[in-house]
Amino acid sequence: MELFVGKILPYITVALLLGGITWRIWRWMIGRIVHNITLSPFPSSWGAAVAWILWQIVSFWNIFKFDKPLWVGAWTMHVALASIFGGHVLGIATLGNQFHLLLPWIVTEAQSEAASNALGTTFGLIFLVALLYLLYRRFAVEKVRVISAPSDYLHLLLLILIVGVGDYMRVFHAVAVEYEAARDFMLGLILFHPGPMPVIHETGLINWYFFVHFLAVQIMLIIFPFSKLMHPFGILWNRWIYNRPYPEPPMGLPGVKLKL
Amino acid sequence: MPKKIVKGQELSQPARASARVLKRLYVREIPDEEKPAEALKWLDYYRKDRRSLVMAMESCVKCGVCANECHAYLGTKDPNNIPAGRADLMRKVYKRYFTVQGRLFGNLVGAEDITMDTLEKWFSYYYQCTECRRCGHVCPFGIDTCEVTMAGREILWGIGMIPDLQGAASAAVYERGNQGNMTKQALIETHDFLSDEIEEERGFRMEFPVDKPNSDILYVPSSADYLLNPETLKGACQFFEYVGANWTISSHMTEAGNFGLLTEQHSVQRELVERLWRTVAELGIKKIVFGECGHGWRAWKMYTPTLTDYAIAGSGYDYHNRVPIVHIHDEVAAYVKMGKLKLNPRDNRLAPVGKSITLHDPCNYCRACNLIQNLRVNLYASVPEVREMTPNGEKNFCCGGGSAVLYDDPEMYELRGKFSLKKVEQIKATGADILCAPCSICKAQFYGVLKEYHHLDIPIQGLIDFVGAALVFKGHRQI
Repeated sequence: MELFVGKILPYITVALLLGGITWRIWRWMIGRIVHNITLSPFPSSWGAAVAWILWQIVSFWNIFKFDKPLWVGAWTMHVALASIFGGHVLGIATLGNQFHLLLPWIVTEAQSEAASNALGTTFGLIFLVALLYLLYRRFAVEKVRVISAPSDYLHLLLLILIVGVGDYMRVFHAVAVEYEAARDFMLGLILFHPGPMPVIHETGLINWYFFVHFLAVQIMLIIFPFSKLMHPFGILWNRWIYNRPYPEPPMGLPGVKLKL
Repeated sequence: MPKKIVKGQELSQPARASARVLKRLYVREIPDEEKPAEALKWLDYYRKDRRSLVMAMESCVKCGVCANECHAYLGTKDPNNIPAGRADLMRKVYKRYFTVQGRLFGNLVGAEDITMDTLEKWFSYYYQCTECRRCGHVCPFGIDTCEVTMAGREILWGIGMIPDLQGAASAAVYERGNQGNMTKQALIETHDFLSDEIEEERGFRMEFPVDKPNSDILYVPSSADYLLNPETLKGACQFFEYVGANWTISSHMTEAGNFGLLTEQHSVQRELVERLWRTVAELGIKKIVFGECGHGWRAWKMYTPTLTDYAIAGSGYDYHNRVPIVHIHDEVAAYVKMGKLKLNPRDNRLAPVGKSITLHDPCNYCRACNLIQNLRVNLYASVPEVREMTPNGEKNFCCGGGSAVLYDDPEMYELRGKFSLKKVEQIKATGADILCAPCSICKAQFYGVLKEYHHLDIPIQGLIDFVGAALVFKGHRQI
């Protein structure tokens, strides 16, 4: 079990994730943008169109304008997700020294690690609360419940499982995974020398919390390209169709006596 | 049309085109047992053809933002009228046959087999969507359910499920080049009558040239103007006469609308496009000016350049150097902005001093064609008082009849009333005396539904009507 999940499955996961994303986007690109069906008011140039798309991605502007209660949950959840993703990559790669490396003359190594821990725990909890709120909304708000499929709930539950276990490891230090242990494990995978999974110090046995966390993340990454979780790519490809400039023909009627 | 009952749910559907109409449309009705398989073939074709459809099928996360922004859902509270839910009618089938998750997990991800019930639902709900694109405007991903509705209607068309209204109008297009099935004689007689009216009002006569060779400008009115909105024709005529244009109306192509865009883009839309270019070549036209029609203007402005390979003048893909296609309100606004038109808003036959006018932004102008500010330039210059609706511009709500959901069958008429609830709320909130709706379908919807269903007695006018009536002539011409 540990051998499969810790040493074999990660390679399958990455292959399916990258291959799946490429395949899905390739599928999207088969169909043409037949006509210019941009939404008006038209962006004045391609620069303005791209700026508008980026602004939508960063701020969730349309949700903010048209559904504020959703925005509170959705935007917070995605910001927490982005922070946690960045924290995992940077924190594990630099052993919690990312802030020290960024601003060495202001932040000491100890402060950086403390900040990394505090931010990780905070965003982890915010993420969990936001996900629970979104799950509640899907159950409670009729307009959303009636259009939801079982998979919509399952995606949320899977994320709640991942972040729930992750938060548990953060909050209860006995089962925590240290930066070094996580880094060594990930480094082993990246260098194609997979090592053993992190263990619990007191007992020396495998950390089953980490095991569940790691497995659930892999399940999420495997279904990512084949489900609605692809929406971060979808927004780019979709808005590329609907937010684009349109050259207007010049005004002025030919052959008239009263000229412009 | 008796109500269809699918799985205990009553479906409102428009009356279907008869076999005779289908024959005139060159459509073969497929037997019911073969319809699902045939529909699936069409869906496969459209998903490979249009990226907009694939993205709409694959990008929705069911966040529900669109629900309370759709006038159809606000009016009916039917979950299948939530844009995401309406697209889901097709998405379920799409998932089942064209995605990995649907093939593996079926119901778990909301995938469903295609059956005759599915198609009956499509026929009901894709003809309840008015293709107003408000959902596309509010969707965080920019998913435009209009594209799904269009594809749904085209698939249904392909298997012979066509509403009588769209079918008859399209058959008329094949035969006469307009949806009203008017002959050249009818055009000329209407023109004569309108010329008489102008003579009575202004004291001098203006003619409507028909098929005049070597004209510079082709004016394409909506055929509904001949039946319902004579003031709109008069307004356009007065503008062209005022600027001294060498203009004409064609009897071969007298249709600013284009139901092909809304229901069948392969043959019906192309038929009118082909008629347009043939007219342009025959009459030596240098610029085409379209009249008031919302969806039509979208079809001509956004689709015609890419639909046609027919280079009238110039070469290459630079289609604006060919014969440009413009809207009358863009042209009028250019004149108004330059101060070239003498308009007197205090002396407007259609909008007397003391009356206030509210502007209904037609969906296809404001969300598809960038025609928001120019409408206001023209309106503010021609009427004494304007009261804006909230929300307006690109956030405006549909009239409830968009994409020719103008059915008279009792249950569909009832739905039209419900679809316009939000609009009526908006109109009442302004307290205006006159409603300006510069779109033939909006006018047709308001003429019927406002008075009969909502008991709101308010005069309805187009926008060029006001411009024409406010023009101050010196003698026969300004110049």
